[in-house]
Amino acid sequence: MGPLIPQEVIGEGWNFFIAFAVGIGFGFVLEQAGFSSSRKLAGVFYGYDVVVLKVFFTAAVTGMLGLLYFSLFGWIDLSMIWVNPTYLWSAIIGGIIMGAGFIIGGFCPGTSVCAAAIGKIDAMVFVGGIAIGIFSFGELYPMIKSLYMAEYLGQVKLSKIFGISQGALTFFVIIAALIMFWIAEIAEKKFPREEY
Amino acid sequence: MISRIKLTVIFLGLGLIIAFVPENTTKPYRLTASEMLDEVQYGSELIHPDELAEWLIDKDPSIQLIDIRSSDEFEKFHLIGAINIPINQILDDEWADYLDQDIKMNILYSNGTTLAHEAWMISRQLGYENNTVLMGGLNYWTETILNPNKPESTSPDDEIAKYEFRKGASQYFGGSANAQSSSKVSKSKKPIIKRRKKKKKVPDGSC
Repeated sequence: MGPLIPQEVIGEGWNFFIAFAVGIGFGFVLEQAGFSSSRKLAGVFYGYDVVVLKVFFTAAVTGMLGLLYFSLFGWIDLSMIWVNPTYLWSAIIGGIIMGAGFIIGGFCPGTSVCAAAIGKIDAMVFVGGIAIGIFSFGELYPMIKSLYMAEYLGQVKLSKIFGISQGALTFFVIIAALIMFWIAEIAEKKFPREEY
Repeated sequence: MISRIKLTVIFLGLGLIIAFVPENTTKPYRLTASEMLDEVQYGSELIHPDELAEWLIDKDPSIQLIDIRSSDEFEKFHLIGAINIPINQILDDEWADYLDQDIKMNILYSNGTTLAHEAWMISRQLGYENNTVLMGGLNYWTETILNPNKPESTSPDDEIAKYEFRKGASQYFGGSANAQSSSKVSKSKKPIIKRRKKKKKVPDGSC
């Protein structure tokens, strides 16, 4: 049956509406979970608040399980799902830059917009920084193109790299997530902060 | 605390099940029964031997003949430039690049039309676009192109023109019209078809 739009179950015009609805829902959940606080977000790097780690890994695991079960029931054709192609160096360097921005600014791109929407000045400055970053990336693109394109691995999945089934990989990610949650909570107890 | 343990158990349980369940690799059918019926009734997949003969004589590079019969039959006789995909191998990955592409128009043929139509229907259900069927198969090809019947002298002009074309084509393909061996076997190498990358939309961004 799914994915609905590529299979032409529903029209392409729905793309925007669905994106809008998901976006609103996503922003609402971020705000409800307290992610519009930069202190909470930075907490994951200092160990006093690891809710960010928990939320994102729970979301990933839920998504993985959902897709695999949907595929199992024949509700979705996984071969039609877009897999983001991997450019290894881009991923590593981009990850470092994003991580640094995360610690310094206290937001990630989504949460910054969320926090800006509820009127946080630091988030508005952060969004401005994102805009400057996008602009300079665009301007510098010809210079860094070779680096950007380096080590192209195609649309790989971890399960393929490790040579195991997608289900088995999901199971290992669940185990890894649980271990991480456990360690993270130890860290929470070790580096507590009263008010933030 | 209790709810955490519950959630942990649920996630582990679901993960454990999915780890041991074989992956669902069945592709759902792309066409509904009524869409398929429309296509079959409309008959737009059929290629007339006259059209094919013209393309072959012109050495049209945009067509690819595919012989659906067994490899024995293929060795004995096949049309010029045809490749052999026996129907029992039609789903093999090896052939997917030939059957699922939008560069060349595939023309499937068998002795009659049954096998070719079966192959065509499978390919349609897989969502492949560029496959057609030679009308009447090799039998009709032989009848119309290789051994054309001379129309009555009172036939309309276009009938006679058609016959003239077929007679010429028959000579080109070595049919009985020039009294040569009708089994002109040309060894043809598999032409290479670059697989077209399917355009997909790129959703971006993460958190």
